[in-house]
Amino acid sequence: MNNTKLMIIGLLVPALLLIPFSIISFYTDFANKNPDPLQVTVSFNGKNYDAVEGKKAFEQYQCMDCHTIVGNGAYFAPDLTRVYKRTGGNGASLAGIIQSGFPSKGMPPMRDRGMGNEDAYRLVAFLKYTDMLDTNGWPNNGSWDRDGGLDGTAAENIRPMGIWQVVAGIVFFNLIIFALVLAYERAKVGNKT
Amino acid sequence: MNGELYLSRAKTRKYFIAAVLLFVLQMILGLLMSIQMVSRNTNLLFPFDIYKALHLNLMILWILLGFIGGLYYLLPGEVGRDIKHPRMIDFQFWFLILSGVGIIISEFFFTGANWWLVEGREYVEAGRFWDILLTIGLLTVVYNVGATVVGRKKEMSSPMIVLAWGAVGSILMYIPGEIWFNSLVAAEYFRWWVVHYWVEATFELIAAGIIALVLLSMTDVKRGIIEKYLAIEVALILLTGIIGQGHHYFWIGTPGFWLFLGGLFSALEPVPLFLMVWSAYKDLKENRKPIPNKVALYMIIGAALGNVLGAGVWGFMHTLPQVNFFTHGTQITASHAHFATPGTYLLLVLGIAYIAVPELAGKFSFSQYRGRIGFWVLVLGFMNMIIALVIAGIIQVYQQRMQGVSFMAVQNMLLPFYGWRTIGGVIALVGGIIVAYDLIVLSRPNTGGFIDETKEVKR
Repeated sequence: MNNTKLMIIGLLVPALLLIPFSIISFYTDFANKNPDPLQVTVSFNGKNYDAVEGKKAFEQYQCMDCHTIVGNGAYFAPDLTRVYKRTGGNGASLAGIIQSGFPSKGMPPMRDRGMGNEDAYRLVAFLKYTDMLDTNGWPNNGSWDRDGGLDGTAAENIRPMGIWQVVAGIVFFNLIIFALVLAYERAKVGNKT
Repeated sequence: MNGELYLSRAKTRKYFIAAVLLFVLQMILGLLMSIQMVSRNTNLLFPFDIYKALHLNLMILWILLGFIGGLYYLLPGEVGRDIKHPRMIDFQFWFLILSGVGIIISEFFFTGANWWLVEGREYVEAGRFWDILLTIGLLTVVYNVGATVVGRKKEMSSPMIVLAWGAVGSILMYIPGEIWFNSLVAAEYFRWWVVHYWVEATFELIAAGIIALVLLSMTDVKRGIIEKYLAIEVALILLTGIIGQGHHYFWIGTPGFWLFLGGLFSALEPVPLFLMVWSAYKDLKENRKPIPNKVALYMIIGAALGNVLGAGVWGFMHTLPQVNFFTHGTQITASHAHFATPGTYLLLVLGIAYIAVPELAGKFSFSQYRGRIGFWVLVLGFMNMIIALVIAGIIQVYQQRMQGVSFMAVQNMLLPFYGWRTIGGVIALVGGIIVAYDLIVLSRPNTGGFIDETKEVKR
């Protein structure tokens, strides 16, 4: 077969298959029973906030670059998909946590990052929505929410005295790599002369 | 690479220098983040999320700069004519750099203030305003490449076709991620079109094309053999990679049939990568022509190996849904990303830079000592980082995801390994600075009074 023809078949076959797969994923009975984000609302002080506004706030304050959502994002902080459940569905308490943060664990008070109360309420609506997503069973119990509550453990500091095994491992590993590199480069020189 | 002279080529030098300098900046940001992970103190000048956003966005920017520079450098020789609009090369460079500066300033000072300036989704953090600017700038690159190819004077070789497909495809694939969806599921679905179709389809095509093109020009292996292998690799990359997208759709709220499709096709994804290494190995073994530019060869072969180990093996390690259920969202993913991306795309950009920069400065023979030291220091640094992260990931999967120990308690256990990762980062930063310094020295043309310590040998 002609080279270009082979490459075009390689491109077209899966690309054309992707169209029905994408349609099935969202517009048929196969699609997961996810809620409509416009319908998911929380109400604070007599005002309603919906999950679409919340999604925009979630993006604007860059939550995803410390936390993860549906497992995607940075791994510096816990996953937020089911955090609404972890607070027992208490929106006011969740908004308070977002605003005051956990400075000792590395979460800045979002109040200091310029977040108003309204944006915190919108985020609560968004997190209520993500808690209702059908994510094929992920994350299972025994992950970020074993006891169904918030994580009570405090952050510790690294103890220089307690890590001598790791230090020995680092030295040993680097010596091996260094020896391999040296052997490779010397063998090369030997070939040339 | 071929002896003909094209005036626009000299303009591509700044692309490579900017790419390697941005890479050093990216590593400095990564180092600051790794210190924050050890200390849990996010008041290190700026918060963690801003460094993380720039760590990713600067990487995207310098990979694009390196690939566009490489495309403009290689294209004239392949089509037998100069780039259609040479002045656009300068203009596009400054446009990209200005967008990059804009993204950096918005991240540092406007995060949370305005959604149009910072959008805060992993990999596409650049705000909507910068997205639109970047897309316009990149579409002009598509136009310039297209106009040059249309007016070609000779048939393009298949590596060049692959390279052009890859470059144009990666620019077009930036667009799906910019569509607004109310639903998080749909937004994540199309965000992965950007990320996945870059690293597992279009960038992979560019990798295959550049490796084939370099092997064609450096060795005396028959053209037909290299091109046949390339065509099979490209067909397999696309066949497995496009549906292999499914491995991002396991747990984001999309239907369960993606578990089957994603698992099956992404398990096949390493096959073309193995083929790439094997064909390169075979070609170099058959080769009887001496290869003077050893540094570029190191980088290109390193890229093929980094691709199969980092993307192939490390990716396969956690791609099956039964495994990914536990490894999703842990340090295993971080380990995979820190192996696959620098292992493939960093070394590719450096490889093409080591071919182009000395040649544009008129240095056909140069001291390769510093480049080789830089390469090995980079490898050493990244190996430390990868191994530290993979150990951290295995502990996290076992303790947190399987045994159900709380997130923070596991993070406390991982501190020594985060410390090890920081050490790896320092070593890699030293390597990056050596390579950047070497490329800047090489980019200066030899002037009359300047005596190079290495003997100049004209071909």
